[in-house]
Amino acid sequence: MSRVNTVLGPVPAEELGFVAIHEHIGYGMPGSELDTRWWKTPEQRYQETVPKLRRYHELGGRTFVDATGICNGRDVDYYKSLSAKTGVHIVACTGFVGGDTALPFFARADVDYLTRQFVHEITVGIGDTGSLAGVIKVGVSRGGRMTNLDKRIYRAAARAALTTGVPILTHLAIDAENAVAIFEEEGLPLDRVLFGHVDDGVNAEKTRDVWLAEKGGRIGFDTFGYETELPDPPFWARPRKERLDHFLRFLDGGRRLKQVLASADANCSPLGWPGVKGHTVNYLFDDLVPDLRDAGLDEAAIRTIFVDNPADFLTLQK
Amino acid sequence: MSVNSTTVNTVLGPVPADELGVVSVHEALLSVLPGAEHAFDITLDRAGIFETLAAKLRDFRAHGGGTIVDSTGMFHGRDLPLYEALSRATGVHIVASTGQGPEELLGGYFLTPQTNPPTPWPAEKFADLFTREITEGMVVPRVERRRPAGLVTTAVSRDGMTATDESLLRGAARAALATGTAVSLRYGDDAAGELDIVRDEKLPADRIAVGGLDRKEAVDAGGPEKIAARGSYVVLDHVGTEDAEHLTDDDRADLVADLVRAGYADRILLSVGATGVAKGHPANDLPYSHLLTAFVPLLTGRGVGGADLDRILRANPRDLLAVR
Repeated sequence: MSRVNTVLGPVPAEELGFVAIHEHIGYGMPGSELDTRWWKTPEQRYQETVPKLRRYHELGGRTFVDATGICNGRDVDYYKSLSAKTGVHIVACTGFVGGDTALPFFARADVDYLTRQFVHEITVGIGDTGSLAGVIKVGVSRGGRMTNLDKRIYRAAARAALTTGVPILTHLAIDAENAVAIFEEEGLPLDRVLFGHVDDGVNAEKTRDVWLAEKGGRIGFDTFGYETELPDPPFWARPRKERLDHFLRFLDGGRRLKQVLASADANCSPLGWPGVKGHTVNYLFDDLVPDLRDAGLDEAAIRTIFVDNPADFLTLQK
Repeated sequence: MSVNSTTVNTVLGPVPADELGVVSVHEALLSVLPGAEHAFDITLDRAGIFETLAAKLRDFRAHGGGTIVDSTGMFHGRDLPLYEALSRATGVHIVASTGQGPEELLGGYFLTPQTNPPTPWPAEKFADLFTREITEGMVVPRVERRRPAGLVTTAVSRDGMTATDESLLRGAARAALATGTAVSLRYGDDAAGELDIVRDEKLPADRIAVGGLDRKEAVDAGGPEKIAARGSYVVLDHVGTEDAEHLTDDDRADLVADLVRAGYADRILLSVGATGVAKGHPANDLPYSHLLTAFVPLLTGRGVGGADLDRILRANPRDLLAVR
């Protein structure tokens, strides 16, 4: 049986349809909730979020993977209401965006405890929501090298992935040798890991995307739309053509098509930062898919990237 | 209430300073190690927490206590609607605090912000964050502001002051200066040096309370006398804790008697450092009333009584907490 955990319950992978594999309903660094400059009323949050998800659904989007980790404003009850009212499947994650977003309670925890936290959220539920996490988020802290805490989180994620069959999604794929070493030590096949943000404007040059693909990993070009052409681009932006060329070069005439996933990493309604005006999940339909068609990708290839690969990746391996 | 009378900011609003009674300045009501609220094996049963805390507050009041200061700051489980209900139900004044620290207890928002490079927050930004918790009210995250904070609290890392710890000390000092509120700091490894940082911001010495001074290493370094001599408050805030790190209550009582004999009765503050309800970290389950039931007799046995005792338990905390 093919199952994927969404916030409204497990669904068959065949029903996922078009998937945005790395997105955020709303992301904020832990502690940002103390700073009133970012506060929004619930009305405003729904107002900023619902139209984007409804449009995503109208354009053909069916599934939205939220990569907002524990402590970053992850709010599963809110996601449930959004999913129920818009018809978009929402997959929530367990895990952490990076060690530097794990609060002290988890920063002090050992691998065993972190593993149990992740497994619980995947098999029993996230808090008292009853919703099961569908992916595990891990990542590299600011600074470019994996910290000891990052490594504990990666190791716990590998063990939880093996126990539960849920895949792992990474924030950044730099310092990948350390990540791969941990996954190999734990015996996790690398096709259960999406090495994300390989197209990130700051880190693309030092990300070994081809090496990771050759090791069997899945590769995430998942910051599409953070472009230097935007009126107020973030520091991780990149020229539009440079990112697209990178993606097409990586595809290598279709040879690595089965290993790629793409997404926009947009915030519907950011929680602890201004967000990036004009950038939404709908970049995928408005800009990326047309760009890929213009570059010569056929409908089958586009389906592979946005439907088949995500379904294969998200399906519980049990 | 005369026009000259001073007030203290409690969770139910300003209270005349003279009405506080016996005050314990370094306590915790609900103490949650940041992140523990998300732990799979920790539950926060509000009704149960209320029941536990109400019983402890009533016990404190029954033994003569008047005011509990929750000095855990803005990011360690502070729950204002709960504290308001507790104060109403028990009649104990509750003073809640703003501030945070040391660095290890901060969220990533303050340490690795989404800027390039991810520069940690400077003193000025902490000053603004803390000041607004006094001028505009304490935050219930992403929901509302409640009443003004009654104290600015921070702490320094045990293995020495980090750059962010220094920003927190300076930010706390500036918030205190701007609002007439006092600063409480739990010292890290150099009580006098850390006090100097706060003083460097021009905050008067008598607006600063230095906690942790009943740790053996503090006493071995002459910390209590040094802090008192500089005119700040010496907080012996582990009354009842007798372990490898701290003085016994007998030694603690000797220390108080020595300080009183040296003329520092007006610089001493006492507290149990209890955690009414602790989540995600070891509890200090002593009753808040331990100070009154067990420790005060040790002091009177050493000749510290009458006016001196009244000064330590009532007048000193009143003077510290009164908004200037």
